[in-house]
Amino acid sequence: MFGRSTALVALLIASGAAINVAPQAPSSAAAVTAPAVAPRSPRNASYAITARLDPASRTISGNEIVTWRNTSNIAADALRFHLYYNAWRNTASTWMRERRLSGRTPEQEYEPSNWGWIDVTNIRVIGVDGSAGDLTSQLRFIAPDDGNTADRTVAEVPLTRAIGPGETVNVQIAWSAHVPRTFARTGAVGNFFFIAQWFPKIGVLENSGWNCHQFHVSTEFFADFGIYDVRLTVPRGWIVGATGVERDRRDEADGTTTHHYYQEDVHDFAWTTSPDLVERRATFEHPSLPRADLRLLLQKEHVGQAERHFEAARAALKYYGEWFGPYPYGHLTIVDPAWQSAADGMEYPTLITAGTSWLQPSHTEDPEDVTVHEAGHQFWYGIVATNEFENAWMDEGINTFATARVMQERFAPTYTLKRYFGGFIPYRLLDFPRTRERDGDRLGNYRTGAKGDAQSTPSWQYWPGTAGSITYDKTALWLHTLERMLGWDVLQRILSTYFMRFQFKHPKPQDFFDVAGEVSGRDLTWFFDQVYRSSNVFDYGVETLRSETDSVEGFVDKSPPGTTPRVELKQVLYRTQVVVRRYGEGIFPVDVRVVFENKEEVRWHWDGRDRWKMFEVEKPVRAAFAQVDPDRVLLLDVRYTNNSFTLEPQSARAARKWSLAWLIWLQDHLLTYGFFV
Amino acid sequence: MAAAAAFREGIRRVNHAPVVVAGMFAVTLLVSLPLAYALETMIADHLGASLAAESLATGTNYDWWQEFSAQATGLGTTFLATISGFAAVLNNLSGLLDHAPLAATIIGVTAAWMVLWSFLSGGVIDRFARARRTRSHGFFGACGMHFWRLLRLAAIAWIVYAILFQFVHRWILSDTYSWLTRDLTAERTGFAVRLAGYAIFGALLIACNIVFDYARIRIVVEDRRSAIAAVLAGARFVRRHAAGVLGLYGLNAVAFLVLLVVYALVAPGAPRSGVSMWAALVLGELYIVGRHYLKLLFYASETAFFQGALAHAAYTAAPVPVWPDSPAAEMIANADRTVTS
Repeated sequence: MFGRSTALVALLIASGAAINVAPQAPSSAAAVTAPAVAPRSPRNASYAITARLDPASRTISGNEIVTWRNTSNIAADALRFHLYYNAWRNTASTWMRERRLSGRTPEQEYEPSNWGWIDVTNIRVIGVDGSAGDLTSQLRFIAPDDGNTADRTVAEVPLTRAIGPGETVNVQIAWSAHVPRTFARTGAVGNFFFIAQWFPKIGVLENSGWNCHQFHVSTEFFADFGIYDVRLTVPRGWIVGATGVERDRRDEADGTTTHHYYQEDVHDFAWTTSPDLVERRATFEHPSLPRADLRLLLQKEHVGQAERHFEAARAALKYYGEWFGPYPYGHLTIVDPAWQSAADGMEYPTLITAGTSWLQPSHTEDPEDVTVHEAGHQFWYGIVATNEFENAWMDEGINTFATARVMQERFAPTYTLKRYFGGFIPYRLLDFPRTRERDGDRLGNYRTGAKGDAQSTPSWQYWPGTAGSITYDKTALWLHTLERMLGWDVLQRILSTYFMRFQFKHPKPQDFFDVAGEVSGRDLTWFFDQVYRSSNVFDYGVETLRSETDSVEGFVDKSPPGTTPRVELKQVLYRTQVVVRRYGEGIFPVDVRVVFENKEEVRWHWDGRDRWKMFEVEKPVRAAFAQVDPDRVLLLDVRYTNNSFTLEPQSARAARKWSLAWLIWLQDHLLTYGFFV
Repeated sequence: MAAAAAFREGIRRVNHAPVVVAGMFAVTLLVSLPLAYALETMIADHLGASLAAESLATGTNYDWWQEFSAQATGLGTTFLATISGFAAVLNNLSGLLDHAPLAATIIGVTAAWMVLWSFLSGGVIDRFARARRTRSHGFFGACGMHFWRLLRLAAIAWIVYAILFQFVHRWILSDTYSWLTRDLTAERTGFAVRLAGYAIFGALLIACNIVFDYARIRIVVEDRRSAIAAVLAGARFVRRHAAGVLGLYGLNAVAFLVLLVVYALVAPGAPRSGVSMWAALVLGELYIVGRHYLKLLFYASETAFFQGALAHAAYTAAPVPVWPDSPAAEMIANADRTVTS
């Protein structure tokens, strides 16, 4: 089927099927170059794009041919396209409205030059015979998610003839776009351009219909795989980095240069350009994984951190490759975005943005963490292409979990970093090492938004203020919980099976749950009911612990009624009673442990269902402390402090120590304000 | 008197008044202790009988810390990982320069401490101006005598500082800084712009600070009643002796920076348990004593400079106030002149 579409495009070029586009745009999009390797993916949404950037006016004039094949089992009588840049057209867009809901309204949003938009100037469906039907006048904006008539991020164009299952259509689109001051990591600042979600992009047709959501503030993207053959014209001398590899480059007569990039089996294309980027190259090599060329485009002031970026990228490719599956593309471009570009920490196929600071001490979070995370997205998002509009946790959450694991394996210890004086001066808190459980899985973030939404809610419908904690943090925590429950070997096999089975596909949550059950050999429905299908919060705690000598008072043995009851102490035994409680709604089986003064311990297993349960034991020794979930399997427990109870509390000692440390801080604060008296 | 000489004289005067240093330190400590106790109670309550207390007692427990912070209100919100070691100093300095918001409880205690300090500064400056012991009755007599004047001066100063921070700070370090750096893509350049902003704002702040310092000194040394006139007199003095005033301010600032550098080098991190905990506390308090010493050195050296710069070199403050006897004693003393009916 692909061969047919390729031949068709070639025919189009040969027949000069050009259309009138914006004045600066080329007369026709180029043909999709013949594929180099056997298809890994369905390749049912391929693009041949030519685009010209005018940095002065911040405009892009583009022209594309989309070759789309209907892989669903229903006919398509219309096509739907994402026009993401229109999210920043005005304050009435759904993206902007949702952003305000979350309380974020940066002033930059309201300066005229900061807005972004995309206008389709021409759209034609090209017939098999090369004829072109102009559908421009029939293009209309729709708002399938919220009915917002002011939102222009999804456009629909009806077809004169429905595209049946398995059939292919070619659509030629000309457009112009204004590059905003960065929103959602795409845009420009100064001479630095990071261009993503920038071209009219066809939605995904599923058996249930079009899956083409409006652009929402808390979610990302979803698209079919294809081949991207892109020619980008920028001022001569400007460095370009893009999805794929550069095949050739041509200097134009007008002082510009056209860079030709090509990539197969991806579902998006992003690029960057700037005259100020510095290029470095390295490789990733591994005895059992494919080699990958690493290209780093970084800021001059970060040149000294080049190797840190490469090491992080290598770590991601190594560990993700060993744990989940190989990285197949053979190359990865890392972009270190400009200061204030707000383009840091984002993933696109074979291209990622990292992010660091001019003063960035070693053994801190960045640039390693962000590089590992975004490189890791090549696996969870790039290769296993889940629907980020609806199930953002499937890429962000799994990837956050895996990032923390890589960071622990390769870069520990790292330390908490604070920044002072406008955020420029870093200070490393060496007494506060970052841990996988805390900063990696980000329990602190999750705690604040734990009840925000059930994770099964479509991601675009999450409350914007807590979407991140449900998507990223909760998933990382429940995956880590699963790791502790099943063991890493099992979880690793679950993830690798899932990865290999669904690479270059669009799996849904149930696919993951099915693999988890299948590989672990356990019915984990109850677990996913708790962590995925509900917003229940977990909080187990020890309500009380008593350990007292056990004496019996009353009639014992054969003391006759009417005689004075006598006290009998058979032997000195300590009756230890521990009451554990489920404070939260979440249910999870937990262990209960009592440790005695002679270090002996007793463990019980509790199904965790009742609101409270008492465990008792008699021993000739007094209990020292009790714990519920002593091995901290349940990392979603939002209050771990109450999980233990000791009969010799050290709280006074700890509180005294830290209040004295705080005392010095307060005195220093007073003397700092003593400047004014 | 040259700035260096005034600085040396300031050191001499502070060194000869260890009780003043100790007293001012004690005041700061006493103001802080109740809050530290309140925080101690909060921490202890949150920990309860948890084993988390053990790790917290012997080291750090960031897990617990995050949990505590998530439920903390009021004073508890100030209990952050940055309160220990040199981070505390950076936190406070950066917070002041960047005009970071303070918790309401901290604003309250800071205001109370500043009023108390204003009360005591009359006695302190009087003590340094005389360069001799004034005994407690003399010290507190001067405190009482100058308090309302100094409080009026403080009110004027705080209004000026409030304007500086509310409007000028925002204009320089927020609006202008954002405008200048709007399209910058190099962080280093942005930092340079920020530093320039700090320098300009700092210059304004220091200019006001110097004027108010000398106004304060003139109120005490010249027994001035009018705070407004003292500000004008302070400004005149600063204008006429700009080089010396700035030189002396610079020397004091350098001394402050030296103290910061030393503390940065020796500051303990998060305290451990047992002896090391107490050692950390002692080291921290020594640093706080150092801050007090330098604060008083500011007063003493500026007072010495002011006195040295006046036409009559032996100029000192008004004579020690002689307090009248109590009404009862006065009645007894005047008994023979009392007419009864």
